[in-house]
Amino acid sequence: MTTHFISAEVDLSDTAEQLHSAIEIELQKHGEPLRWAVTDVDVDRQKALVEGYVLVEASPVAA
Amino acid sequence: MNPRPLTVVLIVPTGVGASIGGFAGDALPVARAIAQISDTLITHPNVLNGAQLYWPIPNALYVEGYALDKFAAGCWGLQPVHQNRIGLIMDCAIEPELQLRHLQAVDAARATLGLNITDCVLTDRPLQVELRISESGASWGTIGNPDSLLRAAEKLIKQARVEAIAVVARFPDDEGSLALENYRHGKGVDPLAGAEAVISHLIVRTFKIPCAHAPALSALPLDPYLSPRSAAEEIGYTFLPCVLAGLSKAPQFVTPTVGQASCLSQVLGGQDAHPTREKFYANRRDFESQDLWADRVDAVVIPATACGGSAILSLSGRSTVQIIAVGDNKTQMQTTPEKLGIKALQVNSYLEAIGVLVALRAGITPTSLGADISSLRCLSD
Repeated sequence: MTTHFISAEVDLSDTAEQLHSAIEIELQKHGEPLRWAVTDVDVDRQKALVEGYVLVEASPVAA
Repeated sequence: MNPRPLTVVLIVPTGVGASIGGFAGDALPVARAIAQISDTLITHPNVLNGAQLYWPIPNALYVEGYALDKFAAGCWGLQPVHQNRIGLIMDCAIEPELQLRHLQAVDAARATLGLNITDCVLTDRPLQVELRISESGASWGTIGNPDSLLRAAEKLIKQARVEAIAVVARFPDDEGSLALENYRHGKGVDPLAGAEAVISHLIVRTFKIPCAHAPALSALPLDPYLSPRSAAEEIGYTFLPCVLAGLSKAPQFVTPTVGQASCLSQVLGGQDAHPTREKFYANRRDFESQDLWADRVDAVVIPATACGGSAILSLSGRSTVQIIAVGDNKTQMQTTPEKLGIKALQVNSYLEAIGVLVALRAGITPTSLGADISSLRCLSD
């Protein structure tokens, strides 16, 4: 298992709940989202700038 | 008839340089004040942890950040407890003398505070914490051996049946760095915070039990210009006492029963034939009992530039939640409610936020306390 830092851009949505889902979907492309936040919004391009960590399961937990 | 209890969530995101709450538990006075006018305050370790200092707030729930996000999303509920049985994980990279300091802190918490801390596990590999600052200015970090951390947690849960886990990882000392110097002087970003969050998030996500972290660091040379906001971390050998005190009464996490949607987002995402928020919460009444779920939240207090976290985005979709954005708690983030399309009440200070909460509790529209009251809107077809 490894943790990775991810930066991503996500299209702004009509509602914050939809944006939440869109961010999770985007981060899931890289692994399981562990912690994330929108750090800024590019209003002109209608993009949310996201930073977060994902978890990548390389192998089962074993000694 | 009893009025609806006022439930308030207070969030000061970790590692984003919050001018209030970005240092050594320096949002604790805010939490204490808000708790006075709330029936229940839900907040997180970054707000309540002041290293050697901690203030027990009877109506405050100490909820780790990953769990707070899940709670806000409607996936997890909070179940208050009288006391948790706590286990300790120590990073094997910690030097023997520093390990002993932490074990003595645990003994002090057992003998002087009466906490139920029963077992300790040393990780089978060094956790290898590394620290970074992101492009946005937030602190983050990685741990090289997350599996070792999870194996230690599993041992505590299975063999010792602990109900909450305190983790002490060896962090890089970073002495002489500009980031540390700024932090000690009450400026900049807590360089440790982002990596700390990863550690506790990993355990909470995997085992669904309360967890909090304290870094193990060498003592720093005395600094006569130390900021009061950072001072709580320089009055002892460990940051562990606040973590143990917080975990001792941290609520347990409950999840919906099999066959029920586990998250509000699942329902809204179309897995239910007739998806409505009301139906989702109504379906859960049979197992809610005394547990606290997101539908009980009345207000959230957040720094105005840090509204882009998972919990705020989730709670902003609930029409009954008043989001209060505090302007003078500056952060490195740039996510205001307006940029995200979130409806929020903007205030300048926590003092003003507390006034808003008093008004909400009394059933008074906050804007009616100002000099200007807008005209009534007339809706047309």
